This record gives sequence, C-alpha cells and structure tokens, in this order.
Amino acid sequence: MSLESLTTYIVNRLPELWLRTGEHIMLTGFSTGTAILIGIPLGIIIFRNAWLRAPVMAVIGILQTIPSLAMLVFLLALLQKIGALPALIALTLYALLPIVRNTLTGLKGVSPQVIEAATGIGMTKYQRLKLVRIPLAASVIIAGIRTAAVVGVGIATLSAFIGAGGLGQFINRGLALYDTKLILLGAVPTALLALIVDFSIGAFEWGFRPERKKDKKGLVKSLVRPLALMMPLLLIMTAGILSYFTRPLSGIQTEAVSKTSTRTIRIATKNFTEQLILGEIMAQLIEARTDLFVERYFNLGGTMICHNALVHGQIDLYAEYIGTGLTVILKYPVISDPEEALSQVREAYKKRFNARWLKPFGFNNTYAITVRTADAKSYGWTRISDIQKAAPRLRAGFTAEFTERPDGYPGLRQIYGLRFGEIRDLDPAIMYEAVSKGEVDVICAFVTDGRIAAYNLKSLEDDRQFFPPYHAAPVIRGEILEEHKKLRDVLALLEGLLDNATMQSLNFKVDGKGYSPAQVAGAFLKSQGLL
Amino acid sequence: MIRLIHVSKSFDGGRSYAVKDLSFQVNDGEILVLLGSSGCGKTTTLKMVNRLIEPTEGIIEVNGKNVMEQAPVALRRRIGYVFQGIGLFPHMTIEKNVALIPSLMGWPLQKIQERVRELLELVDLPPEDYAKRFPDELSGGQQQRVGLARALAADPAYLLMDEPLGALDALTRDILQQKLLDIKKQLKKTIIFVTHDIFEALLIGDRIAILHKGHLQQIGTKEEVLSAPATEFVHDLFAKPARQLADFKDIL
Ligand SMILES: Nc1ncnc2c1ncn2[C@@H]1O[C@H](COP(=O)(O)OP(=O)(O)OP(=O)(O)O)[C@@H](O)[C@H]1O
Ligand SMILES: [Mg+2]
Repeated sequence: MSLESLTTYIVNRLPELWLRTGEHIMLTGFSTGTAILIGIPLGIIIFRNAWLRAPVMAVIGILQTIPSLAMLVFLLALLQKIGALPALIALTLYALLPIVRNTLTGLKGVSPQVIEAATGIGMTKYQRLKLVRIPLAASVIIAGIRTAAVVGVGIATLSAFIGAGGLGQFINRGLALYDTKLILLGAVPTALLALIVDFSIGAFEWGFRPERKKDKKGLVKSLVRPLALMMPLLLIMTAGILSYFTRPLSGIQTEAVSKTSTRTIRIATKNFTEQLILGEIMAQLIEARTDLFVERYFNLGGTMICHNALVHGQIDLYAEYIGTGLTVILKYPVISDPEEALSQVREAYKKRFNARWLKPFGFNNTYAITVRTADAKSYGWTRISDIQKAAPRLRAGFTAEFTERPDGYPGLRQIYGLRFGEIRDLDPAIMYEAVSKGEVDVICAFVTDGRIAAYNLKSLEDDRQFFPPYHAAPVIRGEILEEHKKLRDVLALLEGLLDNATMQSLNFKVDGKGYSPAQVAGAFLKSQGLL
Repeated sequence: MIRLIHVSKSFDGGRSYAVKDLSFQVNDGEILVLLGSSGCGKTTTLKMVNRLIEPTEGIIEVNGKNVMEQAPVALRRRIGYVFQGIGLFPHMTIEKNVALIPSLMGWPLQKIQERVRELLELVDLPPEDYAKRFPDELSGGQQQRVGLARALAADPAYLLMDEPLGALDALTRDILQQKLLDIKKQLKKTIIFVTHDIFEALLIGDRIAILHKGHLQQIGTKEEVLSAPATEFVHDLFAKPARQLADFKDIL
C-alpha cells in the first residue's frame, strides 16, 4: 500500500478513531479509578487485619487468572447485559490485584524505626497511618496503579466483544474480516495509549513526591509540578471531550438518544463477514424504506451474546440461523426438515422470548466438512462417510463453537463414527487458509463462504443428513415489531433474495476483494432495485 | 517524678532478662544518667517508661500514677523522647518534623512557627538554611539535633534521651551539653539521659545509675559513685578512664 493511500485510509477513519480512543480511555480510566477506590482501602484493611491477608489476596489472585474473555462472558451471563457495565466490572477486577498488593507491600515496607518514633512521640494509630505510613507507601501504591492502568489499556480491547466500544472495535472487526490494516488501526493506537498512560501516571508520581529545596527555581519550574500532577486527569478529560465531540461526526448515535427516542432500531451482528453483510443489508434497507434511525451494534462476540442482548431488550434485530436457534438456543434435538425446523423455532421464540422469526433470506449456510480438492480427488472422497476410515490420520481444524455444539463435532462423531487424529481450534477467519496450506486436513467450512472456491477446497456431501438446516432469517423483538408494523413488510422484501451462490459471492467480495460490508450491501440492494 | 519499682523485662518468656528487678526514682527537675555498656538494658528501660515496651514485672510511675493505667498517647505527649536511631520522618521537612506534635495537639499556627524557629536556633541549625530541608539532606549529627528539637517541641515536663549526642564531635557536643543544662535549670525538666560516655555522665548527671547486664549496680551522685563504688564493675568502669586521663596528662 502506498503512503498516500495509507494516509487517506487513516484520515477517512479519523473521526471514528478519535471516538474509539475516547471510549477506550474512559473504559480504562473509570475501571482503574474504581479499582483505586476499592483497592487502596482494601489494602489498608488487610494490612491492619493480618488474618484477612491470605484469603483476600487469594481471591484477588484467582480473579486475575481467569482469562479475560471468559470473565467478560461470565459477567455478561450474570448481568444479562451487553455494553460498558460488564466490561467496566471485568476491568476493575483485573486492576484490583496490583493496587491491593502494592498498597499492602508499601504499608508493610515502612521502616519500623520510623513507626516506633511516630508511636513514641505520641501519634495515634490513625495518625500514624495517615501521616506516616500512607505518605511513605505512596510511591509504591502509585506504581501499582500504574501497572493496573497500563495492563487495563490492553485488556480493554476485549470489551468490544460485548459491545462496549473502544479501540478493540477495530481489532475485532479486523479479525472478523481478516483485515490486517483494521487490526493495526486498533492495535497501534492501543500500544501508543499504553505508553501515554504509563507516562502520565509516571509524571503524576514525580509531581507527588515532596518538593526539595534545591529543586525550586523559577516560575516555569514551579508550574511543571502541578501540571505533572494533573496529567492523568487531563488525559481523562481529553477522552471525554474526544468522545463527546466526535460522536456525531463518526455517525454513531449516542446511547442516551436511543433510550429516549422510540424512532431508533438497534441492529446487531455476530463477528463474521456474512453477519456483517446481512446486518448492513437490513440496516440500509430500513434506513431507505422507513424513517427509523438505525443504530449498529455490530461484531458482538457470538450467538449467546446476541441472543441475550435481544432477549433483554438491548438490541432489536439480528440475523440468526435456524439450526443455531434450534440446537444452541432452544437445545432441541436436530430436525433436518427446514419447514418443520422453522415452525418449531418460530413457536418457541414467540412463547419464550417474545421474539419473531421473519421470512428467511434464502441461503442455507450449513456447515460443510471440507477438504482440499486434490486430496478429495486422489482418495476418491465425495461424501462425509468416505473419510471415516482415514479420519484417525487426519488433522481437523474446527471453530471453537463447532467443537462443542451438539450439531457440530459431538453429533458428527456419533452419526458418522468419525474419530479425527487431532483437533485444533481455529478462528473462522483463518480456517480456510490453514487447510489450503496443509496445516490441517479437514475443516468445518461454512457453505456460503467464498473462500471454499477461492482456495480450491471441496465440501463433502452430508450423506446421512446430519446437519440441520441453517437458513438465516431476521429475528426481531416482538415489541419493536408491534410498534413499527412496517418493518415486517420492509424486511419481507429480502425474502429468498439471497441464494447460496449469491451469498457466497457477496462474502467473497469482502473476504477476497477487500470491499467493506457496507459497500457490498449497498451495491447488492441497488442491483435488486431496493435502494 | 518518674519511679520504677522492681521492674523486670524478658523478651523470651522468662529465660533471660534484658532488665532485672530495677528500682529507682528520678525527682522533679533532676537529670538522671543511665550509664552502662552496650546491651545492658538502657533503651529497654526508657521504652518501658513511655509504654513502647510493657514491663514483664513491676510498676512504673510517671507523675505519681502507674503508666499502665494512663492513656498511652496522652502519656507520650507529656514525655519528650529522643530516639537512639533518631527516627525522623523522611517525607517531612525539618520544620514539619519538629512541628508535628504541637500541630497534632492543636497549637495555633503562629505559636508553632515561633516554637520551631526557636528550637532550631537552640540546636544550632539556622531555620533559614535548614527549615525546608529533608532529613536525608542533613548529616548524622544534624539529624540528631533535629531529633532533640522534636522531643522538646511540645514543651514536655519529662524527657527521655537515648544517647542524644552520640554522633556529635566533641565541640558541638560540649555546646549542646551546656544548652541542655541551661534548659533543665530554666524549665525544670525531669530527664533520664542515656549514655555510655563516662565524662558526659559525670558532667550532666545530677545522679548516675550504673546498669550491667540488666541489673542496677549503683545509683548516686558522681561523688558517691566515684568515691565509694558499690561493685567491682563500677570500680573498673571509672578506674580505666581515670588511668587513661592520667596518661594523657603525662603526654601533655
Ligand atoms: N525487641 C527485642 N526483642 C528481643 N530482645 C531484645 C529486644 N530489644 C532488646 N532486646 C535485648 O535486650 C537487651 C537490652 O537491649 P537494650 O536495647 O535495652 O540495650 P542498650 O543498653 O540500649 O544497648 P546499646 O547501648 O547498645 O543501645 C539486649 O540483649 C537486646 O538484645
Ligand atoms: Mg540502646
């Protein structure tokens, strides 16, 4: 990429970059702030009550070892809420360890001679803590806060998985689209931000240190110290200003507006290409055909996150697959007849979640057990049953979801008796490349993925009709549909419009040709005369 | 008045004693010097007086009342303490170190400032130069003098001084010894002064108490301890320096 196009690439995304940077600083700032408010008193309490030290440090230490993503998903399930709150709680819990530990270490590290002198001249316990112990421990405590904040900047990138915004949004989108530029657009500012945070807290620490007589010279010097002390505050204020002023510019509506306005519809997607395209198609169609304002909650981290958000009224609409609704959400047994499966999920969703399945888009994005075409030719594989004998010698690359879902590998083992020699968890974005390069031999491809053809892969026939139908359809909250009856007709325009070949080519335009999902969706709607 | 009645202290549950069966009395306005070699229990004795250490046995009275029945913070504020290890607060300026107890006791700001100035001048640290410095910007002897000023700050009736002049050269030491005697005379302080310097003991003490391995050997005026040493230890203690002094005169 030339320097010029790199510049335009960045300039075009500048408003959103500012917005996400602002959000990122807010997330880190608020969580670190909360952790300070909890952590320092907690550190003092366990310093004074030695018997509490081991249990408290153990609990905080264990929290720290929970993988960040697992923590986010767990909090999501607990709070039944997507967005900033679970992210802030997770970040606060992670920030706690360095702050509490350093508070304790700092307080313990004060010289016993100094403490004896403080006691001996007649200071009370509280005065010793406030006037001697805490000031002498301050630099160690601040070092803990510094660690917490810098680590927090890194972890905060994961908040994007649950719709909390921040620079992780770019990384997430980049991962979904397998777009290195987007990933860097999130990762580089994150790294810079970590350095800035580190510097600003370092400056604060310097400004906080007692001023020495010989340091003091001139007016400028006397201004430097207060300025250094204010650095972290300035950083957070900058963030507030950034996200306040760039929000309208970046075309992303504020949450406050969405709560007060009933003329908004919130559309979500999971974090892969097809979902982003479907989300854009629905969004652009609604924008063109109704006077509703669309708010995009794209790239949420998976089925359960989208579903929970819908059920709890945090989003209004997303595209779901019949088989997923059936087996993953409803936990029903696999049904292979599409009509039957759709009517089952329709009924159950209406009763249990007050949500409606609208008319399917047409394509059936089922899983396909897929191998290299060359292998299929030389071993004569055409059906899944054909690889049963060879399976123990084959290495499979499955998405993490597929490995666990009842309509995934567990069912496949049962029905076809497949026992692969090795199973690796792969991200959907890299699965196709991995099999074509021979790093694995079998993958669980999505039928509509353009990369099956592009990488010269062969999908094997599901000869025992194991996979349920995965026709995608808009799933919408009942209340929203009641309120805006027109939506049913508008979304019905998309019925049957996207067959497998069409969806495959749209996906490939994004994955293979580098167009954005919004561009592809817009072009598609125009070609159908809908825009 | 400070009074110790059969006071013992063991740090190891009675197997050995840092101080054993110690009884003496310091009258109002008197300087009692505690003299003895390293590890004989001098610091332990001082710390028991202001309750930094609790005695294992016996009773200590300050102002006619058992210290164990007095509120420790109030007791300590009435007793100025100069620590052997100095123990200045490293994060506070010299000025703040000296002002700390008066300000905790709620003195008016003006009075505190005057007091700090007066004390720093007394210990020969001109406030213009030293008030705003931090302890680590001072020499060991200068720090020791700040420790002395801090102990005097709230104008306590009692003073416990644990080798307060240990790190000073002979000259500065002589000046401060004279000042201490002035203070005592003018302000009628009751003082326990710890040293292992015999000449200092003879110069400063109204009476001298000699400790050896936790046991009191003798207590009395300098004339009494010099003319009638009660034990062999006391005799040896003074005999050796006397011989050295004689040798020194010969050289001159
Ligand atoms: N906290 C303590 N725990 C155990 N033993 C102690 C403690 N403090 C003092 N001791 C012991 O008690 C004895 C007397 O100690 P103390 O500090 O009173 O001596 P000192 O006369 O002040 O000596 P120096 O002139 O060296 O300061 C020593 O043997 C010392 O090891
Ligand atoms: Mg001592």
